[in-house]
Amino acid sequence: MTALIILAVIVVIIVLMYNSLVAKKNQVDNIFAGIDAVLKKRYNLIPNLVSSVQQYMQHERGILEKVTELRSQAMKPGISDEQKIVLDKQITSALGSIMVAVENYPDLKANENVMHLQRSLSEIEAQIAAARRAYNQAVTDYNNAIEMIPTNILANMMHYTRKQVFEITEDERKNVDVGALFKQ
Amino acid sequence: MKSASELTDYYYTELYDSLQELEQERHAVRKKVLTLFGILGALSLLIIAFIYNSCHCFNESFIWIGVGATTIGGFGYRMLVSGYRSGFKEKIIRPLIEAIEKELHYAPDAFIPQSLFQFSHLFDKRVDRFRGNDLVRGQIDGISLQFSDIHAEHRSRDSKGRTHWSTIFQGLFIVADFNKHFKGRTLILPDLAENLFGSYIGGMLQSRNFTKDQLVKMDDPAFEKAFVVYGTDQIEARYILTHTMMQRLLKLKNDTGSKIYVSFNGEKIMIAVDYDKDLFEPTVFASLLSIEQAMGYIRTLRSSIGIVEELKLNEKLWSKV
Repeated sequence: MTALIILAVIVVIIVLMYNSLVAKKNQVDNIFAGIDAVLKKRYNLIPNLVSSVQQYMQHERGILEKVTELRSQAMKPGISDEQKIVLDKQITSALGSIMVAVENYPDLKANENVMHLQRSLSEIEAQIAAARRAYNQAVTDYNNAIEMIPTNILANMMHYTRKQVFEITEDERKNVDVGALFKQ
Repeated sequence: MKSASELTDYYYTELYDSLQELEQERHAVRKKVLTLFGILGALSLLIIAFIYNSCHCFNESFIWIGVGATTIGGFGYRMLVSGYRSGFKEKIIRPLIEAIEKELHYAPDAFIPQSLFQFSHLFDKRVDRFRGNDLVRGQIDGISLQFSDIHAEHRSRDSKGRTHWSTIFQGLFIVADFNKHFKGRTLILPDLAENLFGSYIGGMLQSRNFTKDQLVKMDDPAFEKAFVVYGTDQIEARYILTHTMMQRLLKLKNDTGSKIYVSFNGEKIMIAVDYDKDLFEPTVFASLLSIEQAMGYIRTLRSSIGIVEELKLNEKLWSKV
Protein backbone atom coordinates (compact mmCIF):
# COMPACT_ATOMS: atom_id res chain seq x y z
CA MET A 1 0.00 0.00 0.00
CA THR A 2 2.78 2.41 1.03
CA ALA A 3 4.71 1.58 -2.13
CA LEU A 4 1.62 2.33 -4.17
CA ILE A 5 1.16 5.74 -2.52
CA ILE A 6 4.85 6.60 -3.11
CA LEU A 7 4.52 5.53 -6.76
CA ALA A 8 1.37 7.66 -7.18
CA VAL A 9 3.13 10.68 -5.67
CA ILE A 10 6.12 10.21 -7.99
CA VAL A 11 3.82 9.94 -11.03
CA VAL A 12 1.98 13.12 -10.01
CA ILE A 13 5.29 14.99 -9.56
CA ILE A 14 6.52 13.85 -12.99
CA VAL A 15 3.25 14.87 -14.65
CA LEU A 16 3.40 18.30 -12.97
CA MET A 17 7.03 18.80 -14.02
CA TYR A 18 6.26 17.72 -17.58
CA ASN A 19 3.26 20.04 -17.83
CA SER A 20 5.20 22.94 -16.37
CA LEU A 21 8.02 22.46 -18.93
CA VAL A 22 5.56 22.26 -21.83
CA ALA A 23 3.72 25.36 -20.55
CA LYS A 24 7.01 27.30 -20.36
CA LYS A 25 8.04 26.27 -23.86
CA ASN A 26 4.61 27.20 -25.24
CA GLN A 27 4.73 30.55 -23.44
CA VAL A 28 8.03 31.32 -25.22
CA ASP A 29 6.52 30.38 -28.61
CA ASN A 30 3.35 32.31 -27.87
CA ILE A 31 5.18 35.50 -26.96
CA PHE A 32 7.52 35.13 -29.94
CA ALA A 33 4.41 35.16 -32.15
CA GLY A 34 3.55 38.51 -30.50
CA ILE A 35 7.01 39.85 -31.35
CA ASP A 36 6.65 38.61 -34.91
CA ALA A 37 3.40 40.54 -35.30
CA VAL A 38 4.92 43.87 -34.24
CA LEU A 39 8.11 43.26 -36.22
CA LYS A 40 5.96 42.73 -39.34
CA LYS A 41 4.19 46.02 -38.63
CA ARG A 42 7.60 47.68 -38.61
CA TYR A 43 8.72 45.91 -41.83
CA ASN A 44 5.60 47.27 -43.54
CA LEU A 45 6.61 50.83 -42.71
CA ILE A 46 10.16 50.51 -44.06
CA PRO A 47 9.38 50.86 -47.84
CA ASN A 48 7.34 54.03 -47.12
CA LEU A 49 10.10 55.47 -45.01
CA VAL A 50 12.79 54.73 -47.59
CA SER A 51 10.76 56.19 -50.48
CA SER A 52 9.97 59.33 -48.45
CA VAL A 53 13.55 60.13 -47.53
CA GLN A 54 15.71 58.81 -50.38
CA GLN A 55 15.48 61.92 -52.59
CA TYR A 56 16.93 64.00 -49.78
CA MET A 57 19.42 61.58 -48.29
CA GLN A 58 22.00 61.29 -51.01
CA HIS A 59 24.86 60.79 -48.55
CA GLU A 60 23.04 58.11 -46.58
CA ARG A 61 22.15 55.96 -49.59
CA GLY A 62 24.17 53.07 -48.08
CA ILE A 63 22.13 52.91 -44.92
CA LEU A 64 18.85 53.06 -46.87
CA GLU A 65 19.97 50.17 -49.07
CA LYS A 66 21.07 48.23 -46.02
CA VAL A 67 17.73 48.62 -44.27
CA THR A 68 15.89 47.53 -47.44
CA GLU A 69 18.15 44.49 -47.76
CA LEU A 70 17.68 43.56 -44.08
CA ARG A 71 13.94 43.88 -44.47
CA SER A 72 13.84 41.52 -47.46
CA GLN A 73 15.94 39.00 -45.49
CA ALA A 74 13.60 39.23 -42.51
CA MET A 75 10.53 38.78 -44.71
CA LYS A 76 11.86 35.53 -46.24
CA PRO A 77 9.78 32.54 -45.20
CA GLY A 78 11.30 29.87 -43.00
CA ILE A 79 14.03 31.80 -41.22
CA SER A 80 14.78 30.68 -37.69
CA ASP A 81 13.89 32.54 -34.50
CA GLU A 82 17.61 33.12 -33.85
CA GLN A 83 18.04 34.74 -37.28
CA LYS A 84 14.99 36.93 -36.62
CA ILE A 85 16.56 38.10 -33.35
CA VAL A 86 19.82 39.01 -35.11
CA LEU A 87 18.02 40.80 -37.98
CA ASP A 88 15.82 42.73 -35.55
CA LYS A 89 18.90 44.08 -33.79
CA GLN A 90 20.44 45.19 -37.10
CA ILE A 91 17.20 46.80 -38.32
CA THR A 92 16.74 48.65 -35.03
CA SER A 93 20.24 50.08 -35.34
CA ALA A 94 19.82 50.98 -39.07
CA LEU A 95 16.46 52.70 -38.45
CA GLY A 96 18.04 54.59 -35.56
CA SER A 97 20.75 55.89 -37.92
CA ILE A 98 18.10 57.02 -40.44
CA MET A 99 16.20 58.88 -37.75
CA VAL A 100 19.36 60.63 -36.59
CA ALA A 101 20.17 61.56 -40.21
CA VAL A 102 16.65 63.04 -40.68
CA GLU A 103 17.62 65.68 -38.10
CA ASN A 104 20.16 67.11 -40.57
CA TYR A 105 17.52 67.86 -43.22
CA PRO A 106 15.15 70.66 -42.08
CA ASP A 107 12.80 70.13 -45.07
CA LEU A 108 12.56 66.46 -44.33
CA LYS A 109 12.01 67.01 -40.60
CA ALA A 110 9.04 69.25 -41.40
CA ASN A 111 7.63 66.87 -44.02
CA GLU A 112 4.14 65.73 -42.99
CA ASN A 113 4.66 62.20 -44.27
CA VAL A 114 8.03 61.74 -42.56
CA MET A 115 6.64 63.14 -39.32
CA HIS A 116 3.80 60.63 -39.45
CA LEU A 117 6.25 57.79 -40.14
CA GLN A 118 8.42 58.88 -37.21
CA ARG A 119 5.41 58.81 -34.88
CA SER A 120 4.33 55.40 -36.12
CA LEU A 121 7.85 54.03 -35.77
CA SER A 122 8.29 55.33 -32.24
CA GLU A 123 4.96 53.76 -31.27
CA ILE A 124 5.99 50.43 -32.83
CA GLU A 125 9.39 50.65 -31.11
CA ALA A 126 7.55 50.93 -27.77
CA GLN A 127 5.50 47.84 -28.65
CA ILE A 128 8.60 45.93 -29.77
CA ALA A 129 10.42 46.87 -26.57
CA ALA A 130 7.49 45.52 -24.53
CA ALA A 131 7.39 42.32 -26.58
CA ARG A 132 11.17 41.83 -26.20
CA ARG A 133 10.90 42.22 -22.42
CA ALA A 134 8.02 39.73 -22.26
CA TYR A 135 9.96 37.29 -24.46
CA ASN A 136 13.13 37.59 -22.38
CA GLN A 137 11.19 36.87 -19.18
CA ALA A 138 9.53 33.81 -20.77
CA VAL A 139 12.91 32.56 -22.08
CA THR A 140 14.54 33.11 -18.66
CA ASP A 141 11.79 31.07 -16.96
CA TYR A 142 12.17 28.37 -19.61
CA ASN A 143 15.99 28.32 -19.45
CA ASN A 144 15.88 28.17 -15.63
CA ALA A 145 13.48 25.25 -15.76
CA ILE A 146 15.59 23.23 -18.20
CA GLU A 147 18.79 23.83 -16.25
CA MET A 148 17.59 23.50 -12.66
CA ILE A 149 17.27 20.28 -10.70
CA PRO A 150 15.02 18.26 -10.96
CA THR A 151 13.27 19.58 -14.10
CA ASN A 152 16.56 19.46 -16.05
CA ILE A 153 16.46 15.63 -16.11
CA LEU A 154 13.04 15.58 -17.73
CA ALA A 155 13.93 18.50 -20.05
CA ASN A 156 16.98 16.57 -21.21
CA MET A 157 14.82 13.55 -22.03
CA MET A 158 12.43 15.82 -23.94
CA HIS A 159 15.41 17.28 -25.88
CA TYR A 160 14.64 20.81 -24.77
CA THR A 161 17.55 23.17 -25.35
CA ARG A 162 18.40 26.67 -24.18
CA LYS A 163 16.84 29.56 -26.06
CA GLN A 164 18.43 32.88 -26.88
CA VAL A 165 17.21 36.14 -25.37
CA PHE A 166 16.98 39.50 -27.13
CA GLU A 167 19.96 41.58 -26.14
CA ILE A 168 19.19 45.17 -25.39
CA THR A 169 21.01 47.91 -27.25
CA GLU A 170 23.70 50.01 -25.58
CA ASP A 171 21.33 52.97 -25.15
CA GLU A 172 18.77 50.88 -23.31
CA ARG A 173 21.47 49.30 -21.13
CA LYS A 174 22.37 52.62 -19.55
CA ASN A 175 21.07 53.03 -16.02
CA VAL A 176 17.96 55.15 -15.73
CA ASP A 177 18.79 58.33 -13.86
CA VAL A 178 15.74 58.46 -11.62
CA GLY A 179 16.73 61.74 -10.00
CA ALA A 180 16.93 63.52 -13.35
CA LEU A 181 13.70 61.87 -14.46
CA PHE A 182 11.65 63.48 -11.72
CA LYS A 183 13.31 66.85 -12.14
CA GLN A 184 12.03 67.03 -15.72
CA MET B 1 0.60 73.71 -10.51
CA LYS B 2 1.25 75.61 -7.30
CA SER B 3 3.88 74.17 -4.96
CA ALA B 4 3.00 72.93 -1.46
CA SER B 5 4.59 76.02 0.12
CA GLU B 6 2.62 78.37 -2.18
CA LEU B 7 -0.54 76.53 -1.19
CA THR B 8 0.35 76.79 2.50
CA ASP B 9 0.78 80.55 2.04
CA TYR B 10 -2.57 80.65 0.29
CA TYR B 11 -4.16 78.66 3.13
CA TYR B 12 -2.94 81.06 5.81
CA THR B 13 -3.35 84.35 3.92
CA GLU B 14 -6.26 84.13 1.45
CA LEU B 15 -8.35 81.82 3.61
CA TYR B 16 -7.48 83.58 6.89
CA ASP B 17 -10.92 85.19 7.44
CA SER B 18 -12.76 81.94 6.74
CA LEU B 19 -10.34 80.05 8.99
CA GLN B 20 -10.94 82.47 11.86
CA GLU B 21 -14.70 82.18 11.43
CA LEU B 22 -14.55 78.39 11.26
CA GLU B 23 -12.17 78.20 14.20
CA GLN B 24 -14.74 80.02 16.36
CA GLU B 25 -17.44 77.69 15.11
CA ARG B 26 -15.17 74.73 15.90
CA HIS B 27 -14.78 75.87 19.50
CA ALA B 28 -18.57 76.10 19.88
CA VAL B 29 -19.10 72.68 18.26
CA ARG B 30 -16.35 71.15 20.41
CA LYS B 31 -18.06 72.46 23.53
CA LYS B 32 -21.42 71.00 22.43
CA VAL B 33 -19.83 67.65 21.55
CA LEU B 34 -18.05 67.42 24.91
CA THR B 35 -21.29 68.32 26.72
CA LEU B 36 -23.19 65.65 24.77
CA PHE B 37 -20.54 63.01 25.55
CA GLY B 38 -20.49 64.07 29.19
CA ILE B 39 -24.28 63.79 29.54
CA LEU B 40 -24.38 60.43 27.75
CA GLY B 41 -21.53 59.08 29.90
CA ALA B 42 -23.14 60.25 33.15
CA LEU B 43 -26.57 58.88 32.10
CA SER B 44 -25.09 55.50 31.21
CA LEU B 45 -23.26 55.28 34.54
CA LEU B 46 -26.44 56.21 36.41
CA ILE B 47 -28.49 53.53 34.66
CA ILE B 48 -25.76 50.94 35.24
CA ALA B 49 -25.56 51.89 38.94
CA PHE B 50 -29.36 51.65 39.23
CA ILE B 51 -29.46 48.18 37.65
CA TYR B 52 -26.51 47.00 39.75
CA ASN B 53 -28.20 48.22 42.93
CA SER B 54 -31.41 46.37 42.15
CA CYS B 55 -29.84 42.97 41.31
CA HIS B 56 -26.20 43.14 42.56
CA CYS B 57 -25.04 41.48 39.38
CA PHE B 58 -23.26 42.16 36.11
CA ASN B 59 -25.31 41.20 33.08
CA GLU B 60 -25.65 41.64 29.32
CA SER B 61 -27.72 44.81 29.68
CA PHE B 62 -24.54 46.73 30.60
CA ILE B 63 -23.11 45.99 27.18
CA TRP B 64 -26.34 47.14 25.52
CA ILE B 65 -26.25 50.38 27.49
CA GLY B 66 -22.72 50.95 26.17
CA VAL B 67 -23.80 50.15 22.59
CA GLY B 68 -26.83 52.45 22.92
CA ALA B 69 -24.77 55.35 24.31
CA THR B 70 -22.18 54.97 21.52
CA THR B 71 -24.87 54.90 18.83
CA ILE B 72 -26.67 57.98 20.22
CA GLY B 73 -23.29 59.67 20.66
CA GLY B 74 -22.39 58.91 17.03
CA PHE B 75 -25.66 60.32 15.66
CA GLY B 76 -25.47 63.34 17.96
CA TYR B 77 -21.87 64.02 16.94
CA ARG B 78 -22.79 63.93 13.24
CA MET B 79 -25.70 66.29 13.75
CA LEU B 80 -23.63 68.73 15.78
CA VAL B 81 -20.73 68.87 13.31
CA SER B 82 -22.77 68.80 10.07
CA GLY B 83 -23.03 72.60 9.70
CA TYR B 84 -19.39 73.13 10.59
CA ARG B 85 -18.39 70.26 8.27
CA SER B 86 -20.17 71.71 5.22
CA GLY B 87 -18.82 75.19 6.01
CA PHE B 88 -15.30 73.75 6.14
CA LYS B 89 -15.70 72.01 2.78
CA GLU B 90 -17.14 75.07 1.06
CA LYS B 91 -14.82 77.64 2.61
CA ILE B 92 -11.54 75.71 2.79
CA ILE B 93 -11.48 72.61 0.56
CA ARG B 94 -13.25 74.15 -2.45
CA PRO B 95 -10.99 77.26 -2.62
CA LEU B 96 -7.92 75.04 -2.15
CA ILE B 97 -8.93 72.83 -5.09
CA GLU B 98 -9.62 75.87 -7.25
CA ALA B 99 -6.26 77.33 -6.27
CA ILE B 100 -4.55 74.15 -7.44
CA GLU B 101 -6.49 73.91 -10.72
CA LYS B 102 -9.35 76.12 -11.92
CA GLU B 103 -10.75 73.50 -14.30
CA LEU B 104 -11.75 71.16 -11.49
CA HIS B 105 -15.26 70.87 -10.06
CA TYR B 106 -15.90 69.87 -6.47
CA ALA B 107 -19.01 68.12 -5.16
CA PRO B 108 -18.67 67.47 -1.38
CA ASP B 109 -21.46 64.87 -1.21
CA ALA B 110 -20.88 63.00 -4.48
CA PHE B 111 -18.41 60.16 -5.08
CA ILE B 112 -17.00 57.85 -7.75
CA PRO B 113 -19.77 55.45 -8.89
CA GLN B 114 -19.63 51.87 -7.63
CA SER B 115 -19.65 50.58 -11.22
CA LEU B 116 -16.32 52.29 -11.91
CA PHE B 117 -14.84 50.94 -8.67
CA GLN B 118 -15.87 47.41 -9.64
CA PHE B 119 -14.73 47.90 -13.24
CA SER B 120 -11.19 48.33 -11.88
CA HIS B 121 -11.24 44.63 -10.77
CA LEU B 122 -8.82 45.57 -8.01
CA PHE B 123 -10.80 43.99 -5.19
CA ASP B 124 -12.35 40.53 -5.46
CA LYS B 125 -14.85 40.60 -2.58
CA ARG B 126 -18.52 41.31 -3.24
CA VAL B 127 -19.37 44.94 -2.40
CA ASP B 128 -22.50 45.16 -0.19
CA ARG B 129 -22.23 48.73 1.00
CA PHE B 130 -20.62 51.55 -0.94
CA ARG B 131 -20.25 55.09 0.33
CA GLY B 132 -18.05 58.07 -0.33
CA ASN B 133 -17.78 61.84 -0.57
CA ASP B 134 -15.61 64.71 -1.79
CA LEU B 135 -15.77 64.11 -5.53
CA VAL B 136 -13.36 66.20 -7.58
CA ARG B 137 -13.59 65.99 -11.37
CA GLY B 138 -12.42 67.86 -14.43
CA GLN B 139 -9.57 68.19 -16.89
CA ILE B 140 -5.87 68.69 -16.25
CA ASP B 141 -3.64 69.32 -19.28
CA GLY B 142 -6.38 67.81 -21.45
CA ILE B 143 -6.55 64.65 -19.33
CA SER B 144 -9.85 63.81 -17.71
CA LEU B 145 -9.43 63.13 -13.99
CA GLN B 146 -11.76 62.36 -11.11
CA PHE B 147 -11.24 61.22 -7.54
CA SER B 148 -13.12 60.89 -4.31
CA ASP B 149 -13.09 59.25 -0.93
CA ILE B 150 -14.55 55.76 -1.05
CA HIS B 151 -15.57 53.22 1.56
CA ALA B 152 -16.50 49.79 0.19
CA GLU B 153 -17.68 47.11 2.59
CA HIS B 154 -18.56 43.42 2.53
CA ARG B 155 -21.32 41.82 4.61
CA SER B 156 -20.94 38.37 6.14
CA ARG B 157 -22.86 36.31 8.67
CA ASP B 158 -21.37 34.19 11.44
CA SER B 159 -22.63 30.81 12.66
CA LYS B 160 -25.10 32.55 15.01
CA GLY B 161 -26.60 34.52 12.13
CA ARG B 162 -25.11 37.85 13.23
CA THR B 163 -24.18 40.32 10.50
CA HIS B 164 -20.61 41.60 10.25
CA TRP B 165 -19.33 44.36 8.05
CA SER B 166 -15.73 44.28 6.88
CA THR B 167 -13.94 47.00 4.95
CA ILE B 168 -12.80 46.01 1.46
CA PHE B 169 -11.26 49.37 0.75
CA GLN B 170 -11.26 52.78 2.35
CA GLY B 171 -9.31 55.68 0.95
CA LEU B 172 -8.83 57.70 -2.15
CA PHE B 173 -9.95 56.36 -5.54
CA ILE B 174 -8.57 58.12 -8.60
CA VAL B 175 -9.62 57.58 -12.24
CA ALA B 176 -7.81 59.22 -15.18
CA ASP B 177 -7.35 58.80 -18.93
CA PHE B 178 -4.26 56.83 -19.86
CA ASN B 179 -1.99 57.94 -22.67
CA LYS B 180 -1.64 54.61 -24.50
CA HIS B 181 -4.07 52.39 -26.39
CA PHE B 182 -4.58 48.98 -24.84
CA LYS B 183 -7.23 46.29 -25.08
CA GLY B 184 -6.74 44.03 -22.06
CA ARG B 185 -6.46 44.51 -18.34
CA THR B 186 -3.39 44.94 -16.14
CA LEU B 187 -3.56 45.03 -12.35
CA ILE B 188 -0.83 46.11 -9.96
CA LEU B 189 -1.36 45.03 -6.36
CA PRO B 190 0.75 45.28 -3.20
CA ASP B 191 3.02 42.24 -3.00
CA LEU B 192 1.83 40.55 0.18
CA ALA B 193 2.78 36.96 -0.71
CA GLU B 194 6.44 37.69 -1.49
CA ASN B 195 6.79 39.88 1.60
CA LEU B 196 5.33 37.16 3.81
CA PHE B 197 6.84 34.01 2.29
CA GLY B 198 9.89 35.24 0.37
CA SER B 199 10.37 35.47 -3.35
CA TYR B 200 10.45 31.72 -4.16
CA ILE B 201 7.39 30.42 -2.28
CA GLY B 202 5.58 33.78 -2.65
CA GLY B 203 6.20 33.73 -6.40
CA MET B 204 4.86 30.17 -6.63
CA LEU B 205 1.71 31.14 -4.70
CA GLN B 206 1.18 34.14 -6.97
CA SER B 207 1.56 32.14 -10.18
CA ARG B 208 -1.01 29.62 -8.90
CA ASN B 209 -3.63 32.21 -8.01
CA PHE B 210 -6.55 30.97 -10.08
CA THR B 211 -8.82 33.89 -9.27
CA LYS B 212 -6.46 36.29 -11.08
CA ASP B 213 -5.25 36.78 -14.65
CA GLN B 214 -1.74 35.67 -15.65
CA LEU B 215 1.12 36.61 -13.35
CA VAL B 216 3.40 39.13 -15.08
CA LYS B 217 6.95 39.16 -13.70
CA MET B 218 8.53 42.56 -14.11
CA ASP B 219 12.20 43.22 -14.85
CA ASP B 220 12.69 45.87 -12.16
CA PRO B 221 13.71 44.27 -8.84
CA ALA B 222 12.56 47.20 -6.64
CA PHE B 223 9.15 47.33 -8.36
CA GLU B 224 8.82 43.54 -8.27
CA LYS B 225 9.54 43.58 -4.53
CA ALA B 226 6.84 46.17 -3.84
CA PHE B 227 4.13 45.00 -6.24
CA VAL B 228 2.69 41.98 -7.98
CA VAL B 229 1.33 42.38 -11.50
CA TYR B 230 -1.48 40.37 -13.11
CA GLY B 231 -2.59 40.89 -16.67
CA THR B 232 -4.56 39.45 -19.54
CA ASP B 233 -1.65 40.02 -21.94
CA GLN B 234 2.04 39.64 -21.08
CA ILE B 235 3.21 41.99 -23.84
CA GLU B 236 0.56 44.64 -23.21
CA ALA B 237 1.37 44.72 -19.47
CA ARG B 238 4.98 45.58 -20.34
CA TYR B 239 3.85 48.09 -22.97
CA ILE B 240 1.99 49.94 -20.19
CA LEU B 241 4.59 49.35 -17.49
CA THR B 242 7.74 50.74 -19.04
CA HIS B 243 10.79 51.12 -16.78
CA THR B 244 9.95 54.80 -16.36
CA MET B 245 6.33 54.09 -15.41
CA MET B 246 7.46 51.50 -12.85
CA GLN B 247 9.79 54.06 -11.25
CA ARG B 248 6.97 56.63 -11.15
CA LEU B 249 4.56 54.19 -9.48
CA LEU B 250 7.21 53.24 -6.92
CA LYS B 251 7.75 56.91 -6.16
CA LEU B 252 3.99 57.40 -5.79
CA LYS B 253 3.86 54.51 -3.31
CA ASN B 254 6.75 55.95 -1.30
CA ASP B 255 5.30 59.48 -1.36
CA THR B 256 1.88 58.42 -0.13
CA GLY B 257 3.32 55.97 2.40
CA SER B 258 0.23 53.81 1.87
CA LYS B 259 -0.66 50.63 0.04
CA ILE B 260 -1.55 51.47 -3.55
CA TYR B 261 -3.50 49.43 -6.08
CA VAL B 262 -3.43 50.31 -9.77
CA SER B 263 -5.66 49.05 -12.56
CA PHE B 264 -5.34 49.68 -16.28
CA ASN B 265 -8.65 48.78 -17.85
CA GLY B 266 -10.79 50.28 -20.62
CA GLU B 267 -8.05 52.81 -21.54
CA LYS B 268 -8.20 54.24 -18.04
CA ILE B 269 -5.83 54.19 -15.12
CA MET B 270 -7.52 53.67 -11.76
CA ILE B 271 -5.54 54.10 -8.56
CA ALA B 272 -6.74 53.17 -5.08
CA VAL B 273 -4.70 54.65 -2.22
CA ASP B 274 -5.47 52.84 1.01
CA TYR B 275 -5.64 55.54 3.71
CA ASP B 276 -8.05 53.57 5.92
CA LYS B 277 -9.86 56.81 6.88
CA ASP B 278 -12.11 59.51 5.49
CA LEU B 279 -9.97 62.31 4.04
CA PHE B 280 -10.77 66.03 3.79
CA GLU B 281 -12.85 65.90 6.96
CA PRO B 282 -12.63 68.83 9.40
CA THR B 283 -11.08 68.32 12.75
CA VAL B 284 -13.12 69.14 15.87
CA PHE B 285 -10.52 68.46 18.53
CA ALA B 286 -7.49 70.09 16.88
CA SER B 287 -7.07 73.62 15.61
CA LEU B 288 -7.62 74.36 11.92
CA LEU B 289 -4.73 76.79 12.21
CA SER B 290 -2.20 74.10 13.15
CA ILE B 291 0.40 73.54 10.46
CA GLU B 292 0.05 69.71 10.59
CA GLN B 293 -3.67 69.95 9.82
CA ALA B 294 -3.16 72.41 6.99
CA MET B 295 -0.31 70.42 5.46
CA GLY B 296 -2.35 67.22 5.70
CA TYR B 297 -5.17 68.67 3.57
CA ILE B 298 -2.80 70.35 1.13
CA ARG B 299 -0.57 67.31 0.67
CA THR B 300 -3.45 64.94 -0.01
CA LEU B 301 -5.19 67.30 -2.45
CA ARG B 302 -2.00 68.20 -4.23
CA SER B 303 -0.82 64.62 -4.65
CA SER B 304 -4.24 63.44 -5.91
CA ILE B 305 -4.46 66.22 -8.48
CA GLY B 306 -0.74 65.96 -9.20
CA ILE B 307 -1.13 62.33 -10.28
CA VAL B 308 -1.51 63.45 -13.91
CA GLU B 309 1.78 65.34 -13.69
CA GLU B 310 3.56 62.77 -11.55
CA LEU B 311 2.75 59.82 -13.80
CA LYS B 312 3.14 62.02 -16.90
CA LEU B 313 -0.32 60.99 -18.07
CA ASN B 314 -0.39 64.22 -20.09
CA GLU B 315 2.53 63.02 -22.25
CA LYS B 316 0.43 61.54 -25.00
CA LEU B 317 2.02 58.96 -27.22
CA TRP B 318 1.93 59.75 -30.90
CA SER B 319 -0.69 57.14 -31.62
CA LYS B 320 -3.15 58.73 -29.21
CA VAL B 321 -2.86 62.28 -30.50
